[in-house]
Amino acid sequence: MRSRLAEWLVPIGALALFLALWEFAAAAGWLRPIQFPPPSKLARTAVTLAFDGFPEGITLWVHAGITIQRILAGHILAVALAVPLGLLTGSRPLLDQMTAPIVAFCRSVATLSLLPLAIVWFGTGEGAKIFLIGYGCFWVMFSSSIAAVKLVDPVLIRAARTMDADEKTIFRQVILPASLPRLLSGARVALGVGFMVIVGAEMIGTIRGLGSLIMEARTFYRTDITMVGMLCIGAFGLCVMFALARIEAWLVPWQAKQEAQQQ
Amino acid sequence: MKFAERFAGLIGVVLFLGLWEIAARFGWRNPAIMPAPSQAVWMALATIPPLTLIEHVAISLWRILAGFALGASAGVALGIAAGWYRPVALISRPFVEILRPIPPLAWIPIAIVWFGLGEPSKIFVIFLGTFFPVFTSATRGMASIHPSILRAARTMDVDGVRLLAKVAVPAAMPDIATGLRIGFGLGFGVLVAAELIAAGRGMGHLVMEARQLGQLGISVFGIFLIGLVNLVADQQLAAAIRRTVGRWHRF
Repeated sequence: MRSRLAEWLVPIGALALFLALWEFAAAAGWLRPIQFPPPSKLARTAVTLAFDGFPEGITLWVHAGITIQRILAGHILAVALAVPLGLLTGSRPLLDQMTAPIVAFCRSVATLSLLPLAIVWFGTGEGAKIFLIGYGCFWVMFSSSIAAVKLVDPVLIRAARTMDADEKTIFRQVILPASLPRLLSGARVALGVGFMVIVGAEMIGTIRGLGSLIMEARTFYRTDITMVGMLCIGAFGLCVMFALARIEAWLVPWQAKQEAQQQ
Repeated sequence: MKFAERFAGLIGVVLFLGLWEIAARFGWRNPAIMPAPSQAVWMALATIPPLTLIEHVAISLWRILAGFALGASAGVALGIAAGWYRPVALISRPFVEILRPIPPLAWIPIAIVWFGLGEPSKIFVIFLGTFFPVFTSATRGMASIHPSILRAARTMDVDGVRLLAKVAVPAAMPDIATGLRIGFGLGFGVLVAAELIAAGRGMGHLVMEARQLGQLGISVFGIFLIGLVNLVADQQLAAAIRRTVGRWHRF
């Protein structure tokens, strides 16, 4: 019982102590407020952002909404393209061998380095951002779709063959359900990549979205807004990831059970 | 079999580049919008002196190595400490849990406020990109050590720091190695982004500057370069891990 209590008290105490020291150091003038605005200021800024907004009265909720819209648009497009292509590539060994170096290379290209191309092709508007998110998500999703098909237990496929199932039935009844858990976790990882990319993509050519909020605040020397914005992006990402993990567990309960047994 | 696989890969690459070349030359016919691979390479080599090119690559590599070295050593040290000593875990937990979900790129504005536009701000952002994956996998590696390994060591009178250094850390090595590779990949992506937004040199800057001058071919060349450097660096890291950790673990 005591150790359970310590498990909660020590982290909360450490955090409280840290914030108190920060506040004190800022009040005593040891920390420059432009570099380290005190926690009390951050709290007030968070309230202001939520109700009054910045810049031009765009509230935090609008920023978050726009960011999630962009991520989802890019992510859905990428998944819709990558899953069928990946399933096809994974089930044809020759195609898989031919594309393997290209996939490895395209994954190594840092997504944001495509920004100049995206701007030339799609302009500085929504298109470029969705393209970048799509690119980042696509290669993750594509390679996990290929892996999902390749890692289906061959015994399952052979068993279906002995029961005289034709290729189409095998694909629909065996390969697809068996690869579904890996597809879902691939989609979750891809969404994480989308979160990573969006922040960089929003730093250029827009004033809406959480990424632009923190960049815009810097140019106005509003470090407090930058910090609140960062915490919001983090909290927001955490919520979405948590929700997805729950949906995944609900959609493919057999996978969670299998993992529990393996451990 | 191995040879056939490589051959198929080679054909795939040639086919891909060939199709791109044909599409760009006969489809778009405008290298300012869609340069062909040959045009991109030609344009870059004709415009940029080789020494400048090497300088761009070298400065990027230096930044990533500095940031990665700092982030990896801090991540490994703190991760092992948090996985081994409970007080460290309890105290570090709230900070890590709050800061970890923040994408590394979101630190760029605050890094500029703290460290200015020079080298330290970029190295700091790469440091963060590397630190969290390495820390997480080191802690997980320490937590998932099979208890019977530790008990066996204790019966042989190995305890305290020796138990940590000789038994626990080697047992956690595979997880740490995975974390190092993930951290390097993340750090590399962050580097390019940081160079795009604020830098006067480096591969990311090369790509961005070329667009402003309307030389998209050079951008494409720079993107090739980034992919190639990342691929080679990752393979070197993997080989180094296999040489050291791979001696007593199979991957």
